[in-house]
Amino acid sequence: MLKLRQGQAAIALVCVVLGFMLAVQFRTAQDIRSSIPFQRIEDLSQRLSQTEKERDVLLKQVYELRQTTGAESATKESENIKMGAGVVAVRGTGLSITIDDSKRLSKPGENPNLYLIHDEDMLKVINELWAAGAEAISINGQRLIATSEVRCAGPTLSVNNTRYSPPYEILVIGEPQTLENSLKMRGGVIETLQFWGIQVSLKKQDVVDVPAYKGAFRFEYAKPIKDGGK
Amino acid sequence: MALPLVGLIIGISLGIFFPLTIPVEYAKFMSVALLASLDSVFGGLRAGAEEKFDNTVFITGFFTNALMAAGLVYIGEGLGIDLYYVALLAFGLRIFQNLAIIRRYFLRK
Repeated sequence: MLKLRQGQAAIALVCVVLGFMLAVQFRTAQDIRSSIPFQRIEDLSQRLSQTEKERDVLLKQVYELRQTTGAESATKESENIKMGAGVVAVRGTGLSITIDDSKRLSKPGENPNLYLIHDEDMLKVINELWAAGAEAISINGQRLIATSEVRCAGPTLSVNNTRYSPPYEILVIGEPQTLENSLKMRGGVIETLQFWGIQVSLKKQDVVDVPAYKGAFRFEYAKPIKDGGK
Repeated sequence: MALPLVGLIIGISLGIFFPLTIPVEYAKFMSVALLASLDSVFGGLRAGAEEKFDNTVFITGFFTNALMAAGLVYIGEGLGIDLYYVALLAFGLRIFQNLAIIRRYFLRK
């Protein structure tokens, strides 16, 4: 055994401090290891985007499968139901409407939010279109169905749980003149929007293709009633 | 040799029972300070074995080494120089040197 001839007490004293530091450092190192490191966050966000990509591929598959089964049972009634539900792409006369944020700069002291498109503005436009007899509407390629939401998601707009940034392109099928008049009427939606410099452009078209709803239907709480609805 | 070991055990148990942790930002400095202290203790053991031990030199060396090491790393961080690795290398080298010398004394007895 190593014989210490001098300084036993001093070394012992220092060893107390050293031991204390060792224990504290050990615990700190363990804490660091158990907390979420930055790399993990990056890893997770990467995995999220990958999963989103997978989801899109699967959605496409669902859509394609639905198309093929639809070809077999093409009776008039089921066709109508499908068109109403929005699961088939439809074509007809209508409008294409492009809405973009205001180019005008907000004056100092003014709320810049006034010059941006909000969900309310979009909802007003869509509501007006439905009222004017629109038969199918899509926003940036997302078909509006019964459960579609139009909602602000930060600076973007969420439609069918997919986010879009301006400009927004609305495709609508219906009687073009009626649709246009409904939006352009005096004191109507477009006049209000243009007051704030929001750019709205309408184009009447002979052929408008409104895509089908690509998502899946999920009913967690709703169950059909057997002899209901008749 | 027994007394330092007892001291070490007391220190470790104190550290375990004290619910004290270093914030993550300062963990780097703590680890350098710890390395410096380890170096000092091994240096002290070596000096004790060589019978050249000086109480004042040892005690002051222990504390100033640890504080200076942490301080230098802190300054280095401010200047954008990674003195952390330099300190690790320097103290690590010295610890292993001291260990080798202590081992030789250990074997001679």
